[in-house]
Amino acid sequence: MGEAVKVGLIAISAAIAIGLPALATAIAQSRIGAAMAGAVAERPELVGTAIILVAIPETMVILGLVIAFMITGLK
Amino acid sequence: MIRRMAKVEIVGLKDTSLDVIDTIQELGVLHIEDLSEKLDKMGGRKRLSRMEIDPQASEHETKLNELREKIGEKIRELNPEVEKISSQEIQKEYHAIWSENTDLMISRVEKLLGEVDRDTKEAVERKEELLMELSRLEKYAPMMEKILPLAETVAASENMASIALLIERRFKAILNYLNEEIGKITQGESEVVSADVDEESTAALIVFSRRYLKEVHDFLSVQDVNQVRLPSDLGKKPLDEAVAEVRAKMAEIPPQIEEIESRIREAAKKYSVKLLAARNAVHDRLEAIKAVPKFAQTEQVFVISGWVPEDSVEIVEKTLQDKFGARVVLSVSDVRELEEEEGEEPPVALANNPYVRHFEFIYYLSQYPKYGTVDPTTIFAIFFPFFFGLMVGDIGYGIIIAALGWFVYKKWNDKPLASMLGYMLSIGGAWATFFGILYLELFGDLLEKAFEAWHIHLPLLGSEESFLKFPINRLESFTFMLLVTCGIGFIHISIGLVIGIINGIREGNKKHVMEKAGTLGALTGLVMIVAKMLTKAIPMPVAVAGGIIFIAGFVFSGIGGGMGGIVESIVGAGNILSYSRLIAIGLASVIMAQVANDLSRELWGGTFGVLMGIIVAILLHSLNLVIAMFSPSIHALRLHLVESFGKFFEPANFKYEPFKKSGGE
Repeated sequence: MGEAVKVGLIAISAAIAIGLPALATAIAQSRIGAAMAGAVAERPELVGTAIILVAIPETMVILGLVIAFMITGLK
Repeated sequence: MIRRMAKVEIVGLKDTSLDVIDTIQELGVLHIEDLSEKLDKMGGRKRLSRMEIDPQASEHETKLNELREKIGEKIRELNPEVEKISSQEIQKEYHAIWSENTDLMISRVEKLLGEVDRDTKEAVERKEELLMELSRLEKYAPMMEKILPLAETVAASENMASIALLIERRFKAILNYLNEEIGKITQGESEVVSADVDEESTAALIVFSRRYLKEVHDFLSVQDVNQVRLPSDLGKKPLDEAVAEVRAKMAEIPPQIEEIESRIREAAKKYSVKLLAARNAVHDRLEAIKAVPKFAQTEQVFVISGWVPEDSVEIVEKTLQDKFGARVVLSVSDVRELEEEEGEEPPVALANNPYVRHFEFIYYLSQYPKYGTVDPTTIFAIFFPFFFGLMVGDIGYGIIIAALGWFVYKKWNDKPLASMLGYMLSIGGAWATFFGILYLELFGDLLEKAFEAWHIHLPLLGSEESFLKFPINRLESFTFMLLVTCGIGFIHISIGLVIGIINGIREGNKKHVMEKAGTLGALTGLVMIVAKMLTKAIPMPVAVAGGIIFIAGFVFSGIGGGMGGIVESIVGAGNILSYSRLIAIGLASVIMAQVANDLSRELWGGTFGVLMGIIVAILLHSLNLVIAMFSPSIHALRLHLVESFGKFFEPANFKYEPFKKSGGE
């Protein structure tokens, strides 16, 4: 029973570690994406910069994934 | 590498000005400096003034603009297959049209346009007429076909008149109102029938006693409804005959258009090269005329100022000397002095080897590096495909991406953006294949499963517990790969900081050098301390030395860059962690590939199951492949533009754009 609870807590922790940053990234990307869509409509040459800027918040979810993996590796 | 530039000034007698401009345009190496801005700053205290276009050149400009318009019109009409025309052919014709005498060139272009007109005008006009006729008939045909059955349902007699209406479907209710009102006007001798033409419109036919024709027309004219008026040639005929005629005409026109188009295609074969060459020649002459106001003049001489790549100065000097002798003089200024004293910044041109040149793609996303700083394209050319391969890391995906990239590179070799992207993908694909071998991944875990089936035990080198082993299982060796990627990040960022130090030395900016060196020291010290924490193999003095370097680095970066320098050192540590994306994105790709394989295996069994399994595997692997091409590219780009280039990159204000002839390109 104790082992099952431990495994469950590890799984929940990993889910939170990846889930919350994923939500945060989604919110940030939606705002940056909308702003950049407007900017690109005005100046199409900004499309490259737009792609990079949209990718910037992905650091959060990537670090979340790294942490989640480290958590699932706990014995 | 950034090409070294020389600032040149060309001074000559005014009667040679047009010939000198022509010669410079022919040489195509001078980046013109607009002197008018400098002259404006000088105000009234000057003997120099902006060079004026002489009245004859002004007339030429007007005429050439007209010709450019007409040539464009002819090219649009003939619609030649430009991609099948070789630039050599155009260049040959260009030389036949070009002349230093603008009047002669104008007369050649006018003669060409006259010939094109003579051979194509009639065909082009006839085609336009037929297209208009076809579009008119196409507009009437569906309406008439709808109205025809309506007409058959109502009583037809000579005493009855009819009016066809076209209304938007959303206003269909108005028909009831019209029926009531027209019924009142005609004392009940009327009928309104309707049918939908398409999703947006409805056709209606009002049949009423001819005695009330004027009243009904008057009523409808104030109701703002769209009466269908057939063209005069059809309007006098009975509706069924008119419909038959419309159908017949609609069948006749397309073959006629096809025949005319084949005549136009023939003309396009004959004239398109000449027209494209004429367009280029006219464009070049106009560019030369437009450049004149950027030059300066006194009563006797003209002055042209600009930038020339250092290795081209000699040829410019020699050509001017040979052509104009002592009447034109070229002088070269010291770029370093100009930068220091007058704050002038030379334009930037890059000169990289063929491999690195394909990676200049990055300057579609960023400006060129500032003149005098280090060009980071080589760093990008080394690390971008390496990062891409590290993230994708699959033999199957790698080979497909490399093949696809190579195909794009070869197919669109004449299109810079596509060929650069194709080349970058193919090199990235090759690295992905290499890392795929290191991870022993082929479309996910297919090879691993095959090894299990063949009873071959993994790892092939080392044991499960070994720190270094082959193959590296990305899922199981996550911590190891995390350290490797952070190590790569440290190296990548350090290279950026070293370039920052070099830039600082070149610019003579001691504080900049101290800030970058301090940040590098702080990061190196931090890495030494972390390394000691991770492994006992590293002796304690290394950690102590790391601590000292770390503190010294902080102090240096603080002295060099103030609070900004200290913050930069802290951010640098975060930047290193950011390289963990190199493994994280790869993991997402591996897991997705394994899901594709597992789902396919679940479905396996029986003919239908096998078929479904194959379809699912192909679909999911294709999706993963598309993601594998897109996401690692974006993140590899970002690691350069944000993490590494952010440590040293100074953007240029001007790109080297020489004043040159299109030369038929």
